Amino acid sequence: MTIVCILLITAGIFFFFAGAVGVIRFPDFYSRLHPAGMIDSMGLLLSMSGLALYVLSHGGLTGANILTAIKIILIVIFVYITSPTATHAIVDAGIRAGLAPWTKKIKEKSDDDPH
Amino acid sequence: MRLLALIAVILTGGLIIFQTGAFPDFGDANAPANTYLSTYYLEHGQADTHAPNIVTSVLADYRGYDTMFETTVVFAAGLACFFLLRRKKVPGGEPRIYRHMPTGITLRIADGGKLPAEDSEVFRRLDTEFVPQQLIIKNTCRIVIPFIQIFALYVIAHGHYSPGGGFQGGVLLAASIILYAISHDLRRAIRRFSEKTAALMGSLGVLIYAGTGALCLLMGANFLNYKALAPLLGVDAVMARSHGILIVEIGVAFAVMAMIIWIYYNLSSAGKHDEGL
Repeated sequence: MTIVCILLITAGIFFFFAGAVGVIRFPDFYSRLHPAGMIDSMGLLLSMSGLALYVLSHGGLTGANILTAIKIILIVIFVYITSPTATHAIVDAGIRAGLAPWTKKIKEKSDDDPH
Repeated sequence: MRLLALIAVILTGGLIIFQTGAFPDFGDANAPANTYLSTYYLEHGQADTHAPNIVTSVLADYRGYDTMFETTVVFAAGLACFFLLRRKKVPGGEPRIYRHMPTGITLRIADGGKLPAEDSEVFRRLDTEFVPQQLIIKNTCRIVIPFIQIFALYVIAHGHYSPGGGFQGGVLLAASIILYAISHDLRRAIRRFSEKTAALMGSLGVLIYAGTGALCLLMGANFLNYKALAPLLGVDAVMARSHGILIVEIGVAFAVMAMIIWIYYNLSSAGKHDEGL
């Protein structure tokens, strides 16, 4: 069981890392929100379920441990509700502020992100 | 005048920097704070106050007098924002934007035009910077806000046992109202939690804190020595200190919540309480 926990948490940390790299490497505002919003959700799901499993498998199935596991799962649920909404709101704000999405064509009179 | 102020600032700052050398080193084992106070708190904290979270017992019991003035500082900050920023609403002057709810059409009414009633269900006023329908954000906030508030109450009530207490819980409560103001609009938030409520709740919070201290004085003990409340609460002296911490934390939470919301109202609308974030 410990191996499963380790695998889950490692996979979660990998997703977090990939998300962090993506935030730096992606070319513009909107595509950067993609790793920030989505990859982090995946990483959170994996690492938190790993933690919940660890609590249950090492502490035994007592009431207190089950409560802790439920609390950990609640973190995931709330982040799954709020994180996409936050990303949506930020993208919406970007569109309303008039920021055009990045394309591969380099226009001469473009005032977009210079990447 | 500026020169005088500059001289005063430089003198004060220089004095402080000059005297820093007299302080004990960071983490010095022989510093006065570490030789008897910390050890006393660590050894007797739980037995004295029945609060496993020593931070809370130090903050609200042993050093309760400090915390009372911290709460007063928060209150004073709110009042300062009010006095500096609040302006009387000038009727008219700017165009207003309304949305006709059944059809979703947006109307711009120029200055002097006929305005719909304030509480009209058919026309809803929008901020001048046009906002589209934001169903997702509004509904998410509607789901999340009650949970934030329940968690805030948990943080306040559980401050003895886990990290938390009045300041943190008050900030969470304020955040829930501010989230409402951001996701809907400022006017609706003010209708739910008005400026008057904020002022009253802030004063009430400080009053609860200072009043608990004064009650201890009346019962024949030192200011904020909750032991004296034991006969009133019907528990022994240790539990009375535990309950005293809770009462004081509730006062802190009231003051912090009301003041943060009030400061937000004033800052986000430049004191007009009309249009804002």
